[in-house]
Amino acid sequence: MALGGGRLRDEGLKSERLLWPTKGLSRFEEEVDDLEQRVGLTTLQKAVAWAQTNSMWPDTFGLACCAIEMMSIVTARYDIARFGMEPFRGSPRQADLLIVSGRVSNKMAAPLRQIYDQMLEPKWVIAMGACASSGGMFNNYAIVQSVDKIVPVDMYVPGCPPRPEQLVEGIVRLHEAVKAGVPPAYELRSVAS
Amino acid sequence: MTTPAGEWADVPGLVEVTEQHRETTLTVEPGQLVDAALHLRDEHGFTFLSDITAVDFLGYGTENVSGFIGTPGGRDLNAPMTQGLQVVPAPKPKRFALNYHLLAIATPPRRVRLQTFVDDGESVPSVIRVWPTADWHEREAYDLMGIEIDGHPNLVRILMDDDWEGHPLRKDYPLGGEPVRFSGEE
Amino acid sequence: MTATAKRPLGRAIYEGSRIPYPIPTVLQTTQELWDTGDVMTVNFGPNHPSTHGVLRLVVDLYGEDVTGLYAVVGYLHTGFEKNMEHKTWWKCITYPERIDYVSYQNNEYVFVAAVEKLLDLEIPPKATWMRTLLCELNRIHSHLVWLGTSALELGAISMFWYAFREREQILDLFELVAGYRMHTRYFQVGGLAEDIPRGFYPEARKFCDWMPRAIDDYETLLTRNKIWLERTEGVGLLSAEDAIALGQSGPVLRASGVDWDIRRDEGYLAYHQVDFRVPVFAEGDVYSRYRVHIEEMRQSVRIVEQCLDRLERMEGEPWIADDRKVVLPPRHELHTSMESLIHHFKIVTEGFRVPAGEVYTAIESPRGELGCYVCSEGGPKPWRVKFRAPSFVALQATATCMSDALIADMIAIVGSLDTVMGEVDR
Repeated sequence: MALGGGRLRDEGLKSERLLWPTKGLSRFEEEVDDLEQRVGLTTLQKAVAWAQTNSMWPDTFGLACCAIEMMSIVTARYDIARFGMEPFRGSPRQADLLIVSGRVSNKMAAPLRQIYDQMLEPKWVIAMGACASSGGMFNNYAIVQSVDKIVPVDMYVPGCPPRPEQLVEGIVRLHEAVKAGVPPAYELRSVAS
Repeated sequence: MTTPAGEWADVPGLVEVTEQHRETTLTVEPGQLVDAALHLRDEHGFTFLSDITAVDFLGYGTENVSGFIGTPGGRDLNAPMTQGLQVVPAPKPKRFALNYHLLAIATPPRRVRLQTFVDDGESVPSVIRVWPTADWHEREAYDLMGIEIDGHPNLVRILMDDDWEGHPLRKDYPLGGEPVRFSGEE
Repeated sequence: MTATAKRPLGRAIYEGSRIPYPIPTVLQTTQELWDTGDVMTVNFGPNHPSTHGVLRLVVDLYGEDVTGLYAVVGYLHTGFEKNMEHKTWWKCITYPERIDYVSYQNNEYVFVAAVEKLLDLEIPPKATWMRTLLCELNRIHSHLVWLGTSALELGAISMFWYAFREREQILDLFELVAGYRMHTRYFQVGGLAEDIPRGFYPEARKFCDWMPRAIDDYETLLTRNKIWLERTEGVGLLSAEDAIALGQSGPVLRASGVDWDIRRDEGYLAYHQVDFRVPVFAEGDVYSRYRVHIEEMRQSVRIVEQCLDRLERMEGEPWIADDRKVVLPPRHELHTSMESLIHHFKIVTEGFRVPAGEVYTAIESPRGELGCYVCSEGGPKPWRVKFRAPSFVALQATATCMSDALIADMIAIVGSLDTVMGEVDR
């Protein structure tokens, strides 16, 4: 546990090297390591971050195809209950994480922002799939070209739709980033233009 | 190609009967659309309306179709850049077409397409009293193509925002979207 | 006419018609109820765990009775049809998959079938049988997702995990064949994109041996379950005449007593060469729709087994048509034949051309009649593509099914209509 004073790289952040043992540190891991040194969280802050990541409840915001793959991470094979995330809350007031899964049309943009505004801080956003990250294959009048025009995004997960393992990887990386001290996106940046 | 009316001769307002790809298309005058619909439902047994499709023929057959090999006789294998087309698109009488795809749930089942042509600004009577399922299909035709439907009890936008301007599926409406930015550029 | 209309099974579910007037899709609270001052308008907003996607229902409640209902759709409108007008025929095939994102192979198939009809292309039998097999696997997949989510909403939470366990097995099969779990883009104009990989048939057989036992599990949990029966029997009634008038098809129509299935009655792919039963129930309620779905899953497994029997004997046959104007030539020919190189070049850059004309192809998707209208100008891009989505039409029946329903029944009814919002809004 990073709580014990050790560094994340030794204790937590090994997702890629579980599958690929001889691989060196990835860019993401190096950056998180770097951040961790520079931000220098106190033990109390580390404890709070640990608690936040181990019980980050998502909101049911399934829109399109990605929603079906998001539903399957709850199932027994991919099981995000081991990360403490299987209660998908129906109410945004009770949720910490908004996984925007699917294409956001112009009509849906306003409800999306309303849902995001109803969530209580701290809150994180994962843009799941190509449509949420950038508009995907729908570069047209109807789809918002990337959900970061509506809400500030913490993690982009590419894919069309991303495999459940890809989404879990995105979630785990978000957890690692939070444990390293990265603040939620609304403190860092506003929405894209 | 136009075929003799045959069994469809008693459809009110019939202009033309075409058979292509094993499908029958009945073209009727827009003013007599409801009479034709009632006739087809009651006399011919087409109780099921599958779909109402609105098509915009602005610019049909004029641009981006270089290399039509069309000869009335068929394929012209020696014409360059042809890919072996067999039919030249005939120009359509008016800008918009409304296709009503009908089905008779019977043994054997039969399908027919009821087609009517309208211009921009012309309206079409609603068939909602003939087939109640036409409700949302007609709203979609109005929303996306801008075809006015007379007698529809609730003609408001269905797929686009209520305050959207323009009718997206028309050919003179741009596709929209954004130019793609690449990370190497400034 | 010489055709005989099909008569609905069983006795009439209710007298007359319950389709609301004047607007068939809107249930309106009567003025006397408004005058009591006790009617509350509630918004089941686009983001709701139980509305199967982004559907907004504006509901008037008088206590627990639903007296008014207005459905607002369009929150997932993607502009598929407009996008497809700007892509060549090949590139278009990725779009229909995402319309009904739960039964994607059926969507791919209907578009590809419409293009092949315009081209008058003959498909090799191996491709036809494999397409049938994949469409049926997709039907099982779609019904499993429906079952899992609908049961979850009615409180049978464990069904979700059981249904998705089998769903994972089907997705493994899709991954084995096409390389990806969802949106496989495996159907090509002319046949299949690639040959069927080795090792697929034994895996599919294992699935077919396991699946009937899994369906027995689901039935054990739900079919004679007192709570399930209380919540679904007699709820959401829809008579056969109303169903046809409202354009319903698929399980909703068959649960109302009308024996109509495009696979058997009109026939496409290899359905006239396989033996399967079409389940029809006459009660017209949510429970009948559930029974239809379960029985259809069993029959789909039978169809898959029969397809496997045929496919195992077709080793080495072509999987795509031979027409080089439309289909890419095999790669080894590009080294030796100049014409093949030119054809390859033309098809990849400009795209093949489809003769001018219009067709409407309809297939039986897991939700009902999925139709694709394609109008071609003769060029390399479609002129107009329209999809007749069964869920778009099914949602229109919500108001009729909800005549004297309670608010708890609303979830059951909207779930039983098996809607996928991607289809509704396109």
